[in-house]
Parts: sequence; C-alpha cells; structure tokens
Amino acid sequence: MMELFFKPRSVAIVGASGSPGKLGYVIVNNIKGSDFAGAVYPVNPKADEILGYKVYKSIAEIPGAVDLVITALPTPKMTVATLEECAQKGVKAVIIESAGFAEMGGEGKVYQQQIVDIAKKNNIRVMGPNCSGIVSRDIVTSIYPMTKKVPRGNVVLIGQSGLLAAGMASDIVENESLNISKVCSIGNKCDVNENDLLEYFGEQADVDVISMYLETISDGRNLTRITKKIAAKKPVIFLSGGRTEAGAKAAMSHTGSIASNAKIVEAAVKQTGMIMADDFTELKDFAKVFSTQPLPKGNRVAVITLAGSVGVNVSDLCASHGLELPKLTAETTEKLKDMFDTPVSNPVDLYFSVTKIGFTKTLETTFPDAFRDANIDAAVLILAGFEYTQEAVQKKIIQKIVQDVGKPVVVCMIVGYNKYKHVIMDEMGKELPVFPSLISGVKALSKLCQYGMRRQKLSA
Amino acid sequence: MTTAQILSRARQEKRKVLTEIEAKSILGEAGITCTPTVLATSREKAVSVSEEFGYPVVLKVSSVDISHKSDAGGVKVGLKNRAEVEAAYDAIMTSCRAYAPGADIEGVSVQPMARPGTEVIMGMTRDKSFGPVVMFGLGGVFVEVLKDVAFRIVPIDGNDAAEMVDGIQGKKLLEGYRGKETADKARLQEMLVQLSSFVDATPGIEEIDMNPVFAYSDGAMVVDARIILSEE
Repeated sequence: MMELFFKPRSVAIVGASGSPGKLGYVIVNNIKGSDFAGAVYPVNPKADEILGYKVYKSIAEIPGAVDLVITALPTPKMTVATLEECAQKGVKAVIIESAGFAEMGGEGKVYQQQIVDIAKKNNIRVMGPNCSGIVSRDIVTSIYPMTKKVPRGNVVLIGQSGLLAAGMASDIVENESLNISKVCSIGNKCDVNENDLLEYFGEQADVDVISMYLETISDGRNLTRITKKIAAKKPVIFLSGGRTEAGAKAAMSHTGSIASNAKIVEAAVKQTGMIMADDFTELKDFAKVFSTQPLPKGNRVAVITLAGSVGVNVSDLCASHGLELPKLTAETTEKLKDMFDTPVSNPVDLYFSVTKIGFTKTLETTFPDAFRDANIDAAVLILAGFEYTQEAVQKKIIQKIVQDVGKPVVVCMIVGYNKYKHVIMDEMGKELPVFPSLISGVKALSKLCQYGMRRQKLSA
Repeated sequence: MTTAQILSRARQEKRKVLTEIEAKSILGEAGITCTPTVLATSREKAVSVSEEFGYPVVLKVSSVDISHKSDAGGVKVGLKNRAEVEAAYDAIMTSCRAYAPGADIEGVSVQPMARPGTEVIMGMTRDKSFGPVVMFGLGGVFVEVLKDVAFRIVPIDGNDAAEMVDGIQGKKLLEGYRGKETADKARLQEMLVQLSSFVDATPGIEEIDMNPVFAYSDGAMVVDARIILSEE
C-alpha cells in the first residue's frame, strides 16, 4: 500500500498552477525535476498546459488510472470534494498538503473528519493534511523548491511539520551533508502515521537509518512494538516534541501521578533501543554518524589531539557521556615509542609526532596505529583549521584510515573556522561525521557506542 | 472470589476503587505474593483472625469510602496481643466514623505484620497513547520526593524488567548497601512481568499501586495494594 506513495506509476496534482512561486507550481516542477517516469496529470479547470504537461479539468477527465493524487487547494471544502472525486476514480493514495484542518480546530476538525470518513469508506490511504509529503529521487511532492536531485542514499527522515521537513530535505540535498534516500512529512496524520512509515522503511533493504521527528505520537503502544523490532536491525533516531513533565491526568495512585508524558516517552526509547535526539541538528548529525560509521563493539575511545588542553576537555566530555578512555596496549606503546616524547597515553597527543614527521605522515601512521589498538573501539579525532590540515583532507587520508581500520570515528573541528570551515566541515563532512564542537561530536559518538553495545547484547 | 467476580461486583456497585483485600486477591491470582489479608467485620473476628495468623498483626479500616486510611486514623500496626487488637479495632472504628461520618465501613482488614525488607514500589497506569505502562522504584522518600522510578510500556519481557530494576538511580540500595539485606532482583523482575501480563490481559484497570513491596534476599511481598478501575 505504501508503495503507491513512494513508487506510483501515475500522479495527479490537483491545484496545479502555471504561475512560478505558487505551491501548485512548485510541486509540479519538483516532480518534473525528480526521476519520476510515470504519467503526470496536473489538474486545474483554468489551465491547458503546465510545465509541458497537459492539464485536466478534473480527476474524472484523466484518461488512465491514477496511483497517487496530491492536493494543494485553497480551501478544505475543495479538498473534501476532491477526495470524493478520488473515490469515484478509484484512487487509493492521496497526499493532502493544504493546511486548514484539525490543526485549526473548529470547522477544520470537521473537514478532517469528513476526509477520514471518505477515505475509510473507499479504502483510500491519506497522507496529511498539512504536510509536504515525500522528497526522494523517484518523486518529490514537497512545496519547497529542490535545486538538486535527491541521492539514492541509506537514510530516511520522517517528520511531522511539512515546512520543516521540506526545508531540512532541501538543505541536506543542497549541501550533500547526509546520504538521504527519502524525507517524508506526515502533518496531521489523519490516516497514514509514523507507524505505517516505520513498518514500511523497516522492511526496505536500502534503508539503513531512520531518523524521526514527532510532535504527537499516534499510537505509542504500536510504536513501541514496531520500533523495538526495527531497532534490533537498524538504528531509529527519535526527536519527540511536546514532552511535558506534567502528569497526563489527575491520578489516584502514586504511579499515575508520577507518570508524565516525558517519562513514558523516555521509557519507550529505552525499551525499544531508539536513539533519542534533543534537537533537529542532532536528528541530522546522529543520522550522519550512524549511516557512515560501523557500529563499535564497546565504548572504549581513543581521543586523538594536537593540543593537551583540548584532550583534557574531551576526556571530561567522554566521562560525562559514558565513554571510556583506556590505556593503549603495551604493544602499541612500544611500537609508537619514537613518535612520543613521553610514553603514549590516551588522549593521544600527536604534537611530537607532527613536529617529527609532519601532519600528513602522522595521520597516516601514528594515528592508525593508535586507532587499531585492541583496547580501542572508536576514536574522536580533533582537527584544527590550519594550513597543514588541508592536505590531509584533500588526500582523504582520514576516510581511508577509517575504512581500513574498520572502527568508527567522529571528527571535531576546533579553531580556524573562518578559513577552513569549508574544507573540514563542508568537504570532509560529505563523507565523515564532522562536528563544529567537541561536545556535539562526543555526544553523537556516545549514542553510536550505546547502540552498538545494545546490538552486541542482543546478538549474544 | 476470583478476579472476574471481584471486578464484576465492583462494576455492579459502581465502584472505581477496590478494597485492599480485593486488590491483593486479584494480584495473588496473577502470581504476585501479597501478605495474607482477611476481612474482620467484628472485634471478635479481628481477634480470632489475629490469633490464627499469630502476632504481631496489622489492622486497617476496610471501607470503599475511605481511601486515605492513615489520614482517617484507620491503620494500627505492630499489635502484639489480643488486648491490643481489641483496642485497635475500637480506636479505628471511632476515628474513621468521625473522619468520614457517612462512610460505609465493612470492618477491618487483618494481616500479619510483614518482616521489614527493602521498600520498593511497583505500579501501573494508563497513557492515552502508549496504553498501560508499568513502574518500578524504591519506596518511601525515593518515590515521593526524588521520583526515582523506571517506566516501561506493557507488555514487558524479562529483559525489560531487568533494565527497570537496574535503571533506577538508587539501585545500590537493592544490592545490600552498608550491610543491609540484598533484594531478590530476579523475583522483583518476575513480579514486574507478572504485573505487565496481568494488566495486558485484563481490560478495565486504570491504575495499580503496590506500595510498599518488601523485598527480601529470597523473594518479595506486597504489603499494601490499590487498584483503580477505568471509567466504563
């Protein structure tokens, strides 16, 4: 059923427009810009042709079958009428992008109920209202203009707010900051909800990471059941908005009075093995780490730095995020003895090695030796924005080592942002998780380690 | 009475709150060990039940109209002989009638004084979206002030229960802190799973408190329990 949304063979856009800037235009243009190869039917009683597509006066007039209808109409009343037409035509999947429904209360709620009723009666699945639908390589239904093709990546993003999801999708695609496959915004969730999408994406072999933002949880019991199953195979990153500490009701028991919504969401996260994100940046950043790095077997971290003070700070952050900094083995210590003025410790301070053999060579030899150490599960690599960092970045040395060693790394940039942000953050950030602060990198790595250890435990 | 009978009787009487005796009987049927508790509708019955259990015993007012038993002066603990039980019975009746003049008081519940253990709380409540959830925490000040508790969504498995018990801040207090008796974590976990299975299989229950539960090195015992039914 979900295939009709993501892989339709034909699509109609009701409320399509020929005026650039109008939502009904952006949607048609986005579909045109995607790899969608099926029939495109713009519907508008007053136009003949939009972006080269023949326009139809109504859904009924469309000659062939329609798999998916997208509506962007000015009034809820028109949307309800369109849904009736969809039922007549035998359409089974509809994305309602317009707002003005349950989120407005009052009449809007009544209109939304009418939509639900028509949909139920006719076995139509409805995404929305008040959403931007889907952003993917195969089809883009969003109202946010896309400037580049969506990659065929391994990350899906589920969002509720249409504009936010569409905006994030546009940024991610534009900057190539995340290897995204689909972004899906489900708005008011009058029918299709997060559980439908989770079940669908959970089964998709090309989806490795699911990142999800919800303002409301449609059916927490099923969400728990479904995500527990998925999180045992692939990471589900979760940002939950609107958590409150207030009890949901005037309870007669101790248990009821303590059971705030926030505590229950937190319990569901622990129970299922989801990864909790605290803001939208983390939703994206954690997805970056999980989609690019292998899972660590434990939480033993090597901190690689060029400055002692930075190493101290990162050690403290690691401790407060549940990461350990073990000593390296005697073997590694012996092997590296010439590269350190004092025996190598953790944080691994590369300064002496850099003065001796240069930065690039140090990254190529000293760093991997420490990283390979049997006591180490993952690394935090701190890169400063200096002239000599450029060469290593351009030669993709770090990427090669990470691949070669087979353990996860997060890179934290420190100083030199003005001059080298584009090199370290933007360029290297296309492939590796690179963070603008120490705490964001350490936190992301701690989530990866936590999840990795859970998976170890599950498979044991 | 069986659980089904207790629930249907309470429904007929349009009651949402079950008595302690009813609650313990239901939990007992679910496999959860509670202190044996018997209703005594007279002073003489209170004495005979006490003698059967052996002293010391606890007397608590049994009334569907009095939910805050201590506030009503309806709880007397550590009663060591016949005379103390008789005096306690009279004191409870006098105090509770004064506290809630119109209350329907069926008598007192009598139970043997449980050997003190580590106090924990277990409970269940319902969330609009997540449905029934279960809770575990340390009792007394830990739950009331620090809210050091762990929740999980029903149904839970043994793994979830283990994570609940190990998930509270004060878990060291379950592990024999400063020479205290250790708590039988395995049994606590098992009880949480039993609680979860029970509420999962029994519609119409809104909230449960098992508070306190005394945890021992070999087992655990529910000392007081409360069950609230959902609106029909």
